[in-house]
Amino acid sequence: MRRGYLGLWAILVITFAIMLFASQHDSIAFASYQLKTSSLWEEIFGTPRSQSDEDISSLSTEEIIALSQSKVEKVETDTLPKRILFIGDSMLEGLYPRLAAYAKANGHSLYCVIWYSSTSKVWGESTHIPEYIKQFDPDYVFISLGANELFVKDIEKQRDKYVKKILSEIDPIPYVWIGPPNWKEDTGINRLIASNAAQGTFFLSNGMHFDRKSDGAHPTSASAALWMDSIVRWMPKHCAHPIKMDMPSEKSARANRVVVLQPTDK
Amino acid sequence: MQHIWENILYHLQYRPDAPMIFSSALFWCLFIVVMPLYAMIKRSRTQMVLFVVAFSLYFYYKSSGLFFLLLVGTSLVDWTLSRLLVKLISIAARRLCVAVSIITSLSVLVYFKYANFFLWNWNQMVEGNFQPLDIILPVGISFYTFQSISYIVDVYKGKVEPTARWIDYIFFLSFFPALVAGPIVRADYFLPQLRNNHPPLKAEIYWGFWLIIVGILKKAIIADYICQYNDLIFAEPTGYTGFESLMGAIGYTVQIYCDFSGYSDMAIGIALIMGFRLGINFNFPYKSRNLTDFWRRWHISLSSWLRDYLYIPLGGNRKGTLRTYINNFLTMLIGGLWHGAAWKFVFWGAMHGVGLAVHKACHPWLKRIPDTWPVKAVSWSLTMLYVSMLWVFFRANDWSDAWLIIHNIFTNFQSATIMPFFQARATWAIMMGIIIVTHALPTRWVSAIGRGFVRSNWIIKLVVFIVTVQLVIEFMSAEVMPFIYFQF
Repeated sequence: MRRGYLGLWAILVITFAIMLFASQHDSIAFASYQLKTSSLWEEIFGTPRSQSDEDISSLSTEEIIALSQSKVEKVETDTLPKRILFIGDSMLEGLYPRLAAYAKANGHSLYCVIWYSSTSKVWGESTHIPEYIKQFDPDYVFISLGANELFVKDIEKQRDKYVKKILSEIDPIPYVWIGPPNWKEDTGINRLIASNAAQGTFFLSNGMHFDRKSDGAHPTSASAALWMDSIVRWMPKHCAHPIKMDMPSEKSARANRVVVLQPTDK
Repeated sequence: MQHIWENILYHLQYRPDAPMIFSSALFWCLFIVVMPLYAMIKRSRTQMVLFVVAFSLYFYYKSSGLFFLLLVGTSLVDWTLSRLLVKLISIAARRLCVAVSIITSLSVLVYFKYANFFLWNWNQMVEGNFQPLDIILPVGISFYTFQSISYIVDVYKGKVEPTARWIDYIFFLSFFPALVAGPIVRADYFLPQLRNNHPPLKAEIYWGFWLIIVGILKKAIIADYICQYNDLIFAEPTGYTGFESLMGAIGYTVQIYCDFSGYSDMAIGIALIMGFRLGINFNFPYKSRNLTDFWRRWHISLSSWLRDYLYIPLGGNRKGTLRTYINNFLTMLIGGLWHGAAWKFVFWGAMHGVGLAVHKACHPWLKRIPDTWPVKAVSWSLTMLYVSMLWVFFRANDWSDAWLIIHNIFTNFQSATIMPFFQARATWAIMMGIIIVTHALPTRWVSAIGRGFVRSNWIIKLVVFIVTVQLVIEFMSAEVMPFIYFQF
């Protein structure tokens, strides 16, 4: 091999080796900064997707519901108009227009905070939840978080305190935590949220079928709207705090306010 | 071990939601395997051609599935007709040969890209009830169709000698760096390089590597990051103030440049590493001070193709002033339609056609104005305003959204949102600033940085690449945006 090629090849191989090694860890501390890592290790050495799909499909509906701890005594639906705060990661982009349509049709107001690439860790470390609760004064909260930490290793150790902190910051406002739309079996984020959330407050999305965007992760707009419809249908029977959510005539609507936070925001 | 194989096979097989793009980890993992093999067989032209064709077809299969067979079919038809063409003496027969080839190529393109557009328009006109056809657009078909047309036309004109072997032709048509999103490579420029098959110099390899790094920075970091904000504006035009909409419009202007030129840089860089030059595709287009200059700097391979195979055959500027304007307009109109099967693209192309015609008409007066700094500033501002406004139509979901954004900018500016905007979106603003500053710098300075990288120590190159990859990981959003021009 010519020297030019050899030198370039060595650069590529060394970079690959470093990135592969780093990807064994969720993040790496470097001069008081937490460097993110790729999912290379998981993609190569993790559970094969075909197998994980089988694992999901092998669960019965009862097992999925049991996992989400969503069997609750039937609760009367609260028909009062609500100020809804919807917070979470980029999955909100697909979910909130449909939720806004429900809100508009049922007299609720909807305030959204989309924090791109966010995780329970970044929300837990920030002071955003109390700030937005103060700003928007919600009496109902939807959370959609977990999609960016499906494959975090040692998840209980890494994330438990943040999930607890998020829930404590929302308490005592009624809430629904919408689980991530798995495209591959997770390393335990769904179980972690389900075990921390109060009964009837966690909607397990894992196991649902989604039509996805080209990134393979985000549901398409139409699929995300159906996802929101499923959550709404789940609420009267399984949610601890069902609110009035009659089917809207419009497919989507605008939220009263949408706040966007970038991945680099603190 | 079983797990590893299953994972590797999973990533290697065709999945519609996972096309192979140059900024993906999969491509670079494969490139690590492919590059040393390529380097070893580069000297043997036949072996090199067979190897690259096999990889190119796999590359296309990974992005478009069995549509790679369509590419093979197109190449077989073109090559057979090109061989026939040189044997024919009768002009009528030769023209028939060219016509068959062009009609075949265009029919495939029209069916896959424009059939539903025609059906939709037909339904609108006659209030018909035709259901849209279930058609998947093969990736990059617009690019390789143009390459195929230019090849047969050049063979007809005698500018290009047809390849003796089909494998050489499919090498040209399917060359993976330029296959899915250009640059549109011309046979007269590319085939001589294949015949000579010179191994690249060390400096060329590292210049290619530098272009790849620049492309990754533009596409995978800047374009993918700033698009998150821009997408919000275009998704809900009425939800933001005029200032925020203006930032979204400027943001998209920068995004489409970084996205497409970043891809081109990577494609040109990979080809250069392999010992092939694809030519320049972007030359700081936002430095332009008029539309004519803009189209000499933006997507150069497309604009020069349109000039040589559409504008000049239409008569170019040889048939009087009015015909020149009409030819210009028609060329841009078709160029707009090439970008997508929707009226918004036609409008975008048409307005560029109008702009070019106006500039040409005013040129005799404009050139009398002294070229001072204030004049330069005004002409640059007017050009950028026009280009950016047209990008709004290009990007918006429909006409009404585009008008809403523009209306919002002029009627609901709300200057009080300026400071909070920059406080909340400092990173977005910095990334925009980097591109604006890069355009403001003299071109030779930017080139000097590249030359400095090529001359630098190997360790420095390694560190720069590691930092680049880590930056991609740091800024990687939850979603991966495919190249904008991937869709065309």
